[in-house]
Amino acid sequence: MLNKTDIRINRRTLLKGAAAATAVTTFNINHAWSKDVTWDGQRFDAGGATLRIAEWGGFWEETVRKYLLSDFEKQYNCKISWDSGFPWFPKFSAGGPKAPFCDIANWNLKDMYQTARAGDYYLPLDAVLPNIPQAAKLWDFAKVTGLGITWAYGRYTFGYRTDLIDEPIKAFKDFWRASLAGKRGTYVTVNELQMTLFLTACAIYGKDEFDLNAGYKAMKGLVPVKTSDFTGNMQALLERGEVVACNQWDGEMWAMQDRGVKVGQYIWEEQKPLLTQTRTISKYAEPMQKKLAFAFMNRSLDPKVFGNFAEFFYLRPTCSNIEITPKMAAKGITNTADSTKGFWIPDYQKYLDSADEVEETVNAIFAA
Amino acid sequence: MNEPARFHWAVWLGSIAALLVLLLPVVIVVLAGLTAGEYLTFPPQGLSLKWVIAFLQSATFLPAYLFSLVLATITMVIACIIGTMAAVYLTRTRFWGAKLMRGIFMTPIILPGLVLGLALYVFYVMTDLGLARSFAGLLIGHVLVTTPFVLATVSAALVGFDRSLEEAARSLGAGPLQAFRLVTLRIIAPAISAGAIFAFIISFGQFDLSLYLGTPNLTNLPYAMYISLRYKFEPTAAAAGIFAIALVVASMLLTARLVNLGKLVANTRLRW
Repeated sequence: MLNKTDIRINRRTLLKGAAAATAVTTFNINHAWSKDVTWDGQRFDAGGATLRIAEWGGFWEETVRKYLLSDFEKQYNCKISWDSGFPWFPKFSAGGPKAPFCDIANWNLKDMYQTARAGDYYLPLDAVLPNIPQAAKLWDFAKVTGLGITWAYGRYTFGYRTDLIDEPIKAFKDFWRASLAGKRGTYVTVNELQMTLFLTACAIYGKDEFDLNAGYKAMKGLVPVKTSDFTGNMQALLERGEVVACNQWDGEMWAMQDRGVKVGQYIWEEQKPLLTQTRTISKYAEPMQKKLAFAFMNRSLDPKVFGNFAEFFYLRPTCSNIEITPKMAAKGITNTADSTKGFWIPDYQKYLDSADEVEETVNAIFAA
Repeated sequence: MNEPARFHWAVWLGSIAALLVLLLPVVIVVLAGLTAGEYLTFPPQGLSLKWVIAFLQSATFLPAYLFSLVLATITMVIACIIGTMAAVYLTRTRFWGAKLMRGIFMTPIILPGLVLGLALYVFYVMTDLGLARSFAGLLIGHVLVTTPFVLATVSAALVGFDRSLEEAARSLGAGPLQAFRLVTLRIIAPAISAGAIFAFIISFGQFDLSLYLGTPNLTNLPYAMYISLRYKFEPTAAAAGIFAIALVVASMLLTARLVNLGKLVANTRLRW
């Protein structure tokens, strides 16, 4: 057995020690260097590295694979590991900032801010943007979070059944119409669509988006209201006529129209909140993964790639040089400085300060 | 000859009601999967096979179904081996801590699946064994939650087991393993197969654990159905449910058939 006294310092042990120290330092330097990884927009060989992406599954994943991933894997000689096991927050916090479970994550905003509060998980946007050539074309609202790039979005709307509603919704406050009592639908309080409805109601019925008392009063005005967990379930409620009007985002309503359901919508104009798709890059991702992440972000903002993908979901672009496809243009979607004026991404960072109180209070209101 | 038991009408009524509660959800899933409509609704809006075909052509559902099938099969085999070995030990040992060990074995079914899944995930990440988000890590989780069912069913069979049968085999020259294989294992085979069915079904339908332990690029069926219901609410999820129900029924029938075959073989040998 080796005793402490057996360890003698000689030339050989010193050399071994130096080699080990160099190896450890080199390993740590990887992380220190990784913040300085740059990408010039040129294609490169990733040597079979794996880029880990956390994003929605099902049909979403199928479509991203079809229009983006397959080509990307071939062109950069890499593999994409796709994790659709939402929520991401517990997975990030389990490993800590320096051992992220993924290199790129696609987020709902509240969760994104919540994770940012828990630690130093994301590469700051000012370190990301210079490495993504196409990011120069982003509209300002796409960078407003400071944490990630909003690469696609939809607008909030009130959807309704044209054959069941007494008269179409033409203004935000119409959703509170007495004739819709018991026939309107929104979501459980932890769903981002409900949070946004609440904050928007605060702004419209009160002095600003955090006039909580005005928001509570507005929520009371909605009761009796049917609540749903997810947008998919809300579609079914609307299609069955169990709700006549509901809180939705515009792409879902156009998709329902395409399927022949008799629906119309009023896209909110009084306030213009956005339902966003926002991607972050993990700050402590390995250098090659970080470089791949830049390339992936750039590719997903590419006008050709974006057009193909977005059409399936009626997702709108966030880059000024992306042309709207004919299918989307037929729905009245445009992508100009004028059409993006007044866009608003609610301050979920601030919302988190009072999230518990809001959710508890609104739950009690809806339960009543 | 014993007379057939006669039951009070209330017992019949209760039994029929229980049967309806058990079967109606299955009927609803089957009919919802055969709807001609665009959403998962009941009653169905006409009948059609379009969602069944969509399931068979789906790039999400069919691989998820096959992945769940493979995962549940491997889980079942491992859970049967561990569960049976543990049951034999725990029913025969005089070790003072046997009850505590049994309790520890049962813990995974007492803990909420989400808590267990998160705890395992954190454990994998902390130990850095390469199990986080890996197939092996997911498999360990599934084995943990299914083994107690095998342990419980096999233990029940072993409690009333007549050890003298094994001793008789030993006295006729069989070694301990041979006696276990030819006598004990055959007698407790129905209990093992019952445990196997439980293990398979629970693993196949496992959602909570998979939420945290799920592997990238490999989605199991319950999670694929959840995603579909969350975002699209289309009847492909119900069509997948039809195939899941069919698989469970087939596995039960097959297991029952195999157990009978085992008995037949045993009887034939005895006659020789």
